[in-house]
Amino acid sequence: MKTMIEPFKIKMVEPIKLTTREQREQLIEAANYNPFLLRAEDVIIDLLTDSGTSAMSSEAWAAMMRGDESYAGARSWYRFRDAVQGIFGFEQVIPTHQGRAAEHILFGVMVQPGSIVPNNTHFDTTRANVEFNGGEALDLPCAEADDLDSDFPFKGNMDTAALEALVAEKGPEQIPLIMVTVTNNSGGGQPVSMANIREISRISREAGIPLYIDACRFAENAHFIKRREPGYENTATIDIAREIFSYADGCTMSAKKDAFANIGGFLCTNDAELAHRERNILILTEGFPTYGGLAGRDLDAIAVGLCEVLDEHYLDYRLGSTHYVVKHLLDAGIPVVAPAGGHAVYLDARRFLPHIEALQYPGQSLAVELFIEAGIRSAEIGSVMFGLDPHTGDEHPARLELLRLAIPRRVYTQSHMDYVLEAISLVWERRSEIRGMRIARAPKFLRHFTAEFERA
Amino acid sequence: MATQTWAEPYKIKMVELIKMTSREDRLKAIGEAGFNTFLLRSEDVYIDLLTDSGVGAMSDRQWAGIMMGDEAYAGSRNFYHLRDTVEEYYSYQYTVPCHQGRGAENILSQIMISDGDYVPGNMYFTTTRLHQELAGATFVDVIIDEAHDAESEHPFKGNFDFEKLDALVNEVGADHIPYVCMATCVNMAGGQPISLDNLKQLRAWCDKHDIMLVHDMTRVAENAHFIQRREDGYKDKTIREIVYEICSLTDAATMSSKKDAMVNIGGFLAMNDARFYEKACALVVVYEGLHTYGGMAGRDMEALAIGITESVQDDHIHARVGQVQYLGRKLRDAGIPIVNPIGGHAVFLNASKMLPHIPQEHFPAQALSAALYVQSGVRSMERGIVSAGRDKATGENHKPKLELVRLTIPRRVYTQAHMDVTAAAVQDVMEHRDEIKGLQFTYEPEVLRFFQARFEQVAS
Repeated sequence: MKTMIEPFKIKMVEPIKLTTREQREQLIEAANYNPFLLRAEDVIIDLLTDSGTSAMSSEAWAAMMRGDESYAGARSWYRFRDAVQGIFGFEQVIPTHQGRAAEHILFGVMVQPGSIVPNNTHFDTTRANVEFNGGEALDLPCAEADDLDSDFPFKGNMDTAALEALVAEKGPEQIPLIMVTVTNNSGGGQPVSMANIREISRISREAGIPLYIDACRFAENAHFIKRREPGYENTATIDIAREIFSYADGCTMSAKKDAFANIGGFLCTNDAELAHRERNILILTEGFPTYGGLAGRDLDAIAVGLCEVLDEHYLDYRLGSTHYVVKHLLDAGIPVVAPAGGHAVYLDARRFLPHIEALQYPGQSLAVELFIEAGIRSAEIGSVMFGLDPHTGDEHPARLELLRLAIPRRVYTQSHMDYVLEAISLVWERRSEIRGMRIARAPKFLRHFTAEFERA
Repeated sequence: MATQTWAEPYKIKMVELIKMTSREDRLKAIGEAGFNTFLLRSEDVYIDLLTDSGVGAMSDRQWAGIMMGDEAYAGSRNFYHLRDTVEEYYSYQYTVPCHQGRGAENILSQIMISDGDYVPGNMYFTTTRLHQELAGATFVDVIIDEAHDAESEHPFKGNFDFEKLDALVNEVGADHIPYVCMATCVNMAGGQPISLDNLKQLRAWCDKHDIMLVHDMTRVAENAHFIQRREDGYKDKTIREIVYEICSLTDAATMSSKKDAMVNIGGFLAMNDARFYEKACALVVVYEGLHTYGGMAGRDMEALAIGITESVQDDHIHARVGQVQYLGRKLRDAGIPIVNPIGGHAVFLNASKMLPHIPQEHFPAQALSAALYVQSGVRSMERGIVSAGRDKATGENHKPKLELVRLTIPRRVYTQAHMDVTAAAVQDVMEHRDEIKGLQFTYEPEVLRFFQARFEQVAS
C-alpha cells in the first residue's frame, strides 16, 4: 500500500464556525492586522502554532482522570519523572508550567550581562529570555540554512566551524552554555543531524561549556535522522532520541509540542548543584518542585504523550503530512522552504511578495491576506518577530522573511490541508495587489504577540 | 428545615481511593522525608491536610468545562468567558491569566515596586513577601496586634491598624509606598477575616495618600462569609454581593484560584487601570504566556470561570466554613489549644502551647506536624518559625509570635468521618506529647526554606 493513513481515528470533535470574506476583513481590521489578536472562534483553520494545540489521545485523557492533585509528592509527579528520565536520561528533572519558564529559570541561573549564548537559531521566547537576562543570543546556522531551495537534508545544523572559533575567542568565561534547537523552528523546522550534534558536543566538552538541547520537537528531529542520516536506518527512533540527549548536559522542553500536551514543560540537567539553584527559583515563580505549576493531571498527560510521540507510525504520518503540503506548493511554483520540515510549512514571504520591503513586513501582509482569503491563521517569522533589538531600539531586517503555517498534531485532516493549499494559491494569484504593513504600537520584548499594525 | 448542621450542598460523583499505612511505614516515610511533610509522597498519606491549594474537588459542571477547553494559542473563547466572569463577580475590568497565584505576584511586584520601597500589608505571606523583597521592597506588617495573639476572640483579626500605617507613611513618605497589600482571610493569622468597615477606612486612607490598594483575594468568599455572620448590616446580603463589594473597594487583585475557585491550577492578576494592564500584558508573555492564556490551558480557564460562580453561592460557603468550624470545635472541646476564632480554611493548632517542652529554636510546630503524621497518616503544615524564614538584612530567624500547625481542609473533598478521624489523631498526639522531640536543620534552603528543608531530632 502506498497510501498513508493516520494511525488513529477520531474520538472527539470540536466544531468549526465558518465566516464570510466580508466578516473576516472586519475581524482582522479589529485585531489591528495581528492574527495573535484574533478571537480563536473567528478562525477557520488555526495554523498559528503547533504549541499546546494538539489532540490528546484517549489514553492521555484517561491519564488526566487519574491526576493526583496533591500539592507535594503526588503520584503523577513520579510517573512524569520516570517517563522523562526514560527518554531523556538526565538525572535532574524540574517540571515547569511551560517551556518559556524552563528557559527563564535556566538563563536566570546561567546568563549574566555580557554572556553570549550560541544556538543554531534561537526561537522567540528563547531569545527574549537570554536578552532579558542581559545576554546576547547569537545564531550560528549552517550555510545551507539560508538557501531556501537547497535540498540539504539537515538545514537545521549549526555552523560548527563558527562555533569553534567563537569558543576559542570567548571561552567558557563568556559562554555559559551552548544550545541546539531540535528541530530548528525559526529556520524552517529543519532537523539537525546526529553528526552535527556529536561535533557540537565535542566542542562543548573540550571547552568545558555545558551543552543544552531545546528539545521541543525532539521526536520529529530523531525521526528525520532515521529517515535521512546514513547509519540510522535500522535504529529505533527512541534510541536515536536517547543518543541525541546522551551528548548533552541538559535540556529545556515545551511539552506543548512533542508531548501532545495542552500545557506544560520541563528543564533537565545532570548537575545536581545547578538543579538545586534552579529549584529555588522554581518555587518562587512556578511552584513546588514536584508540580512546578502544573496540575497533576497535566503531568500524567505529558508522561503518556512522551511515549506516544515516539511511535514510528505516528512520526511517518506526521512528517508525511507536512511533506504533502510542501510538495503541492512546490508543484504549483509557490516559494516555500524545502525540504519540508517537521511541524510546519514555511512560505518564503520575501519571494512571495518581492515588491514589499523587509521593514514593511511581507510575512505579516501575507498572514493578513491568508486570513481574509480563507480564515486561516498563521504566524510571521521575520522582521516583526526578530527585527527589533530591545536594548538599542534599532530595527534591522531579519535573516529570513517567512510565514509559518504550523500544523497542530493529529488535529486537521487531508481535506483541511487541501483547503489550505487552495487558499494559498488564490492569494498567490493576486499577490501583486498586496500591500505592506507598518507598526502602529508595539512593546519592547516579544512584540509580535501584541503589536498593532496598519496597512502601509 | 431550620438546622444548625452544614450538610454538603452536593453529592459525590467521583471518588479517589486512599490507603491506610502502618505506623512502621510512616516512621520510615517521615525519616526519608527529613521530618518535613512537604517531602512525603502523597501515596504514603492517609488524610492530606497539607494545603487547601489546588486540591479541591471540581464539580461535574467544572469537569464539563474541562472538556470545553479551547486550546487555541491566542484568543481562546475560555479567556473571554473568564474575563467576563471576573468582571461580573469581582468587578475588575481587566484580567491577565497566570499559571498560578505566585505568577501574578511576580508580575505585580516587578511592575509596581522600585528599589527601596515599602509594602504594608495585613501580615506577610511566604511567597508574597519574597516577591516584594526580590523586587527591592521591604514588607511592613500593619495588622492589628490581636492577630498575633492566638487566644484573642477578636472577630476580625485580619483588620489593619491605622496607627501603624500612619507611622509608616510619616517615616518613609507615601512616595515610597507603591501599594498596600490587603489579604482577605489572612492565612498566616489563622484564616482570619477583615471587616468591611475596616476595609472602607483603608480605602479612604489610600485615597488620602494616593496609594494603590491591591487585594490578595485567594479566599475572598470565605471572608465574605464571616462578614455576613459577624458584621452589622450584612446578614441579609448574599455572599456574592459582599464579595463584589469587597473587590469594588480595591484597585487591583492577585488571585490564586486554587483556593476559593476550586480549580487544580490557575490564577490571575486583575485591575481597573488600563496602563497597568498594558504593562502586565507585556510582562506576562515573558514569564507566563500570551495574555489570553497566561500559561493556563484553555480548559483550566473554563473550569475557573465556572468555579468562580460556584464559590460565591451561600450554601456552598456555609458548608465549607461549617466543616472547618466542626473540626475546630471538636478539637477545642477536647482541650486542644487552637487559634481562635476558628478560621475559614483551616484549623491551626497552637504548637507552642501543645509542646511547651520544646523551645522555638527546636521548631515545635515542625515536630508536631511530623508527629501527627507518624501517629495517624494525617499530613499537615508547619506555620511558625520555619515558614517565617530569616530577616533579609540581619540573617537572624524571624521569630513569629504564632507557632502553629495548620490542618488545611480541601474544598468538597473530605467527609465528616474524615474530620472525626483527624480530631481523634490530634487527641492521640496530645496524650503522648511528652514523647515528641524537637528538631534541628540538616539542610536549610536560602529562600522559602519550609518547602524543602530537612531535619533530624535533637537528642533529649
